[in-house]
Amino acid sequence: MTRLAVDWTRCDGHGLCARLLSESITLDEWGFPILTDAPVDEDAARTAVSVCPALALRIEHPARTA
Amino acid sequence: MTVTDPGTLPALFPATPPLLTLGEPRLLAAAPPAVPSRDRAWLVHAATDVRLLGRGGAAFPVARKLASVPLGARVLVNASEGEPASFKDRALMRHSPDLVVAGIRLVAAALGSGRPAVVAVEDEPSAQALAQAAGRAGAELDVRLTRHGFVGGEIGALVNGMEGRAPRPDGRRVLPTERGLAGRPTFASNVETFAQLALLSALGPAGYAAVGPAHEPGTSLTTVLGATPVNGVVEVPHGTALRDLVGHDDGPVLVGGYHGTWAVPTGARVSRVELRERAIGWGAGVLAVLPADTCPVAEVARVTDWLAEASARQCGPCVFGLRAVADDVQALAQARPVDLERLQARVGMVRGRGACHHPTGATGFVASALTVFAEDVARHRAGHHCGRADLGVLPTTHTTGGVR
Repeated sequence: MTRLAVDWTRCDGHGLCARLLSESITLDEWGFPILTDAPVDEDAARTAVSVCPALALRIEHPARTA
Repeated sequence: MTVTDPGTLPALFPATPPLLTLGEPRLLAAAPPAVPSRDRAWLVHAATDVRLLGRGGAAFPVARKLASVPLGARVLVNASEGEPASFKDRALMRHSPDLVVAGIRLVAAALGSGRPAVVAVEDEPSAQALAQAAGRAGAELDVRLTRHGFVGGEIGALVNGMEGRAPRPDGRRVLPTERGLAGRPTFASNVETFAQLALLSALGPAGYAAVGPAHEPGTSLTTVLGATPVNGVVEVPHGTALRDLVGHDDGPVLVGGYHGTWAVPTGARVSRVELRERAIGWGAGVLAVLPADTCPVAEVARVTDWLAEASARQCGPCVFGLRAVADDVQALAQARPVDLERLQARVGMVRGRGACHHPTGATGFVASALTVFAEDVARHRAGHHCGRADLGVLPTTHTTGGVR
């Protein structure tokens, strides 16, 4: 399953991700994304990542086991 | 309880609080023991045997960290102690610098670290004590005075600061064991961890484990403040009842510090593992009790404001959310109307959303305070100020670096 992650040092709260992925991302009262555990469609996730103006959104790949 | 004379220091720097020990002093012993050199395998086995946990906030198993770096790794000693309520690291460095230096040398040699270990320290008397101890030992030590503040002591931020970058946490977490000083794998830990490793080498695992419960032997340094039988830095054997340190366990106690937890720790003992089972972090080892004549809501509000100001100002939820939380708690303290449900929601919303632990640690402090002081909070919220002043029991002024 595709998981999203936010680089909080980059995110400026533009909110495009929440518009594109409204079922899995909401915004807090200051406009910063809240990621829910709802499954994300991979193509939609890629689109959201590519349009983030701050390059703050990424797809998190599960950690490789050592 | 033994009281050790902390000695005198130039007036520009805060005096060392009383140093106390329950039982035999180890870290605070008058003279350091001989610390034999050990190879890395010995240290990993010994630290595994005594289940040694790192003495910074995260309590990470030391053996795992030692085993995870390649030979030749650099060594970074985090002695920044940006937590205003804590004095244990400075007390250790000022009182027992030879033990600290012996521990740093032990680790650097075991790891075959080619370069001198770097010590990041904010407190000048501590830096001087370490430099003099290194001189006595004929050891090369790179002691660096830092002014990075609370969040700047987070290990990723500290590495950035040491490398000449802004002392802020990275957006994507980089472990120092993978990329630290000069971009090389680095064993980084709190300064007390190195002193504990020195004791482990000196005493051997069996000797080290002669004190404390089998599941977590040894001692820890704690800073005890407020309405407690003693105030100061205490070396305490693990397994000691919290009430023996702070006077009670049936009323509110702050455990860990400003990233810590307010709790009514009935029956709790000094043990990182046992406290974690109660969802209480030992953190920076601070234990505080508020006296009856200070307003707990105002004390908590002042600390929360300090925490919001301490933000590295990188991450939205911390910059805006933690500030909003602090303003709400301040309004509560002044018995102005506050939407308590919205405050609770804000506290939950900030948690976990940032590049470092700061928003989570800070909101944990607030959330637990709202629970433990629920009666005071309810009274203030209803517009009835308790009438008590903020006596400033919980320190929020920088206590390092002399005059600013």
